[in-house]
Amino acid sequence: MWFLGFVLLLLKTAIVLTILLGLAAYLILVERKLLGRFQIRFGPNRAGPFGIWQPIADGIKMILKEDTIPQGADRVVFKYAPAVVATVAILIAAVIPFSRDAILWGYDIPMVISDLNVGLLYVLALSSLSVYGVALGGWASNSKYSLLGGIRGAAQMVSYELPLGLSLVPVVMLAGSFSLVDIVNAQACYPFVVVQPIAFVIFLIAAVAESKRLPFDLPEAENELNAGYHTEFSGMRFALYFIGEYVHMMVLGALVAVFFLGGWRGPWLPPVVWLVLKALMVPFFLIWTRATLPRLRYDQLMHFGWKLLIPIALLNILATGAVMLWLRG
Amino acid sequence: MSEYIHVLIMLVLAAATAGGMLVATSLIGPKKSFIDKMEPFECGESPIVSPKLRFSVKFYLVALFFVIFDIEAVYAYPWAVLFKELGLFGFIEMMIFLTILAIGLIYVWRRGALEWDR
Amino acid sequence: MEQVMSTINLSAIYPEIILTCFSLLILLMQSFSTPRFKEYYGYVSLVGVLAALAFVVMEPSSFFAQTVVYSFNDMWVVDNYARFFKLIFLLGTGLTILISMKYLEDEAMQYGEYFALILFATIGMMIMASAGELITLFLGLELMSLSLYVLAGYTRVRMVSNEAALKYFILGSFATGFLLYGIALIYGSTGTTSIRAVAASVGKYGLYSPGLVMGMAMLVVAFGFKAALVPFHMWTPDVYEGAPAPITAFMSAGPKAAAFAAFARVFMEGLPALQMEWTWLIWIMAALTMTIGNVIALVQDNIKRMLAYSSIAHAGYVLVAFLAAGELGISSVLYYLLTYTFMNIGAFAIITALSGRGEPRVFVRDYQGLGFQHPFAAVAMSLFLFSLAGIPPTGGFMGKFYIFSAAVKEGYIGLAVIGVVNSVVSVYYYLRVTVAMYMEEPSSVREAEAAAPIFSPALVIAIFISAYGVLSLGLFPSSYVAIVKQSFLALQ
Repeated sequence: MWFLGFVLLLLKTAIVLTILLGLAAYLILVERKLLGRFQIRFGPNRAGPFGIWQPIADGIKMILKEDTIPQGADRVVFKYAPAVVATVAILIAAVIPFSRDAILWGYDIPMVISDLNVGLLYVLALSSLSVYGVALGGWASNSKYSLLGGIRGAAQMVSYELPLGLSLVPVVMLAGSFSLVDIVNAQACYPFVVVQPIAFVIFLIAAVAESKRLPFDLPEAENELNAGYHTEFSGMRFALYFIGEYVHMMVLGALVAVFFLGGWRGPWLPPVVWLVLKALMVPFFLIWTRATLPRLRYDQLMHFGWKLLIPIALLNILATGAVMLWLRG
Repeated sequence: MSEYIHVLIMLVLAAATAGGMLVATSLIGPKKSFIDKMEPFECGESPIVSPKLRFSVKFYLVALFFVIFDIEAVYAYPWAVLFKELGLFGFIEMMIFLTILAIGLIYVWRRGALEWDR
Repeated sequence: MEQVMSTINLSAIYPEIILTCFSLLILLMQSFSTPRFKEYYGYVSLVGVLAALAFVVMEPSSFFAQTVVYSFNDMWVVDNYARFFKLIFLLGTGLTILISMKYLEDEAMQYGEYFALILFATIGMMIMASAGELITLFLGLELMSLSLYVLAGYTRVRMVSNEAALKYFILGSFATGFLLYGIALIYGSTGTTSIRAVAASVGKYGLYSPGLVMGMAMLVVAFGFKAALVPFHMWTPDVYEGAPAPITAFMSAGPKAAAFAAFARVFMEGLPALQMEWTWLIWIMAALTMTIGNVIALVQDNIKRMLAYSSIAHAGYVLVAFLAAGELGISSVLYYLLTYTFMNIGAFAIITALSGRGEPRVFVRDYQGLGFQHPFAAVAMSLFLFSLAGIPPTGGFMGKFYIFSAAVKEGYIGLAVIGVVNSVVSVYYYLRVTVAMYMEEPSSVREAEAAAPIFSPALVIAIFISAYGVLSLGLFPSSYVAIVKQSFLALQ
């Protein structure tokens, strides 16, 4: 009997993994085409109609590239640092609820790979782990550009972990639980963005900084640091870093949807479609800002994170607590 | 406990995927390594400065402050879960805690530890 | 939830709350400081110390009512023992603040953090005295220690200061590791960290597991480090020599007393059943500490190092009283720690005044001829040195008398003999300074004039208070003895 549960689990995991990786690959294409449109040009459209086969072509190209390890680099760390980034980003998807419980033949199948009762802490822990991928990648390449990019990236990610975490405290206060399934269920009446607009904005900004996208992309700054911490990575390793980053973007979108936009809740359409729609809004928004905004200088970045976001997040907690207590009598 | 096994399975599959891609590359790709290609990239010049340079102590300070305020966030979380049961007393107690740490933040801010690099 | 809420008794922690508010106030003052503020930091912290003092005596009930209040689910205990120790700590802190004010101005050091750190250290010590549970004890110990690590290295420009801070930090963290391991082993053997519950479970089940004994041994190591007992005393001379003189004064009085407070509470209240195990251990440690402290002090030239070794020796005397447990033993510990605070801080006050900017004049030869140039300073210094040596009619003599009579009464005659012999030996190095002050010419008249000590009013007040304390403890001990007899531990 447990065997059936195990098979179901494997099935769920495999489906989620495949969809996630597939969406990530096509998200790269979507970004390139969107960037092209924002810059009044076509994106890639040679490989198949509308460039549909472009990601597959890129994937094959990456696999066939040489696997170089620069002289003097730390071999073991160099080999596995990109894998850390990609794995951690994929792991976050393990706690995202995709739909309400499906009822098949009388059995209640939860539409989430793992309904951890500390789901939110798990998510935050994993985003802290992704700092390792950046720092180790920068360190392992035997190049000072990589080191600088890696250190700056680590400092930036670490500084924006705090607003990320603190902005979720009011969400937990409202839902009364860490489990993401419970948080989605608590949004039955209204999505949390209605009562927590400030937390939503802070989370979004901190998420942008965590995924090192413009306007926070100094660690990979193309024209300043020669591609920063992933200067020395080529071929599949480079691709893994990028897959990690795009999976991270999508998972972040899913998290925004779960925490603030009501998860899979919504009228007419099936729940999964709602989740995907809400989740894809965030990568779209990220691509849009990438095309539009200039890059923040490093000290501006730090100033913004420590002196603006953290105090606002703390005041938000205070205000939420006070209002909740007042409303209850 | 069983929920964590699900996470473990996901971890195994994700790591296998990433690892598989890396192994595929190292098996399939060509392997012509010569010294000019293997040098660290420096806009076309030979490496001038030793790559293990010392970096500024400001990064250490960032990490230190992160640890302190992250522990504060960690303490805020269990309180947030039980917020409704704890009522006014718990709220005031937590606000006192947050105030003490906010005074710490104000002190750090005014003394200029958040300047320069940051 | 309800039963936990009812044990929250805020009046039991009023003194600590007051000190916390004042220290945060000083931090805020430092954050938004203007040059005019400089004098105010000292006064603000003094007001805080006095307010805390008032609350210690008054709350949760009058000191003389002898009530014992367990609150916060047995984590916090306020009995006369704890309150007497808090009085000692606050006294030490107040005197240190008085000494420091001019010193800070001379050395051009940052003001605000200094006083805030001193107050934090005091809060840590008060937590240690009142801890009803091992984890709370650890919390207080760490708070005190971390503040002291920073304070020891406060004069950043001097190499000895940096060395002192680093040594203190590394060795102190090591000792904290031992403390935690000991707590973990005790928790593993008894299933609880509350000191009362440990005593109950050890007594009830006659638990005598190796884990418990190991845990006890590790706690001895940890407390031995903090109180600077042999063989864990190696940090003391370097740290005392390197730290700025007012901080040395602070460190020699408060934290040592706090370490003994915690030591006695854990071992007398929590592990009395293991007395067979730790008696011989403490006997050896006491004998070694007294002897080694005194013998090495004989050859010291630097007066701060000499006083560091002498403080090691005094810790040895306190251990003798500790060993002679029971009402007489514990009350003699309290009495001795009170008089020790007075005389040590008094001595260091004079050293602070005389040492000069950058502290070059801390050697015995710099005290030559002091009796003629600055008679007031020389008299005060001699008084404190006589008290440290244990010469009647000073408080030091009464304290040692009390301790050794307690030891003899409990049957530790050998230890008492060793103590007395050590006292006699110590007279040499204390009186050497007095001889230099009164019976030798200053090294050079020009030097002597250039090195005129500056006695600020606050320092003079501190010296007067210490001298008054030493003399009254020596000449009129009965009222103090009465108070101290009321302050023995709740559980005996």
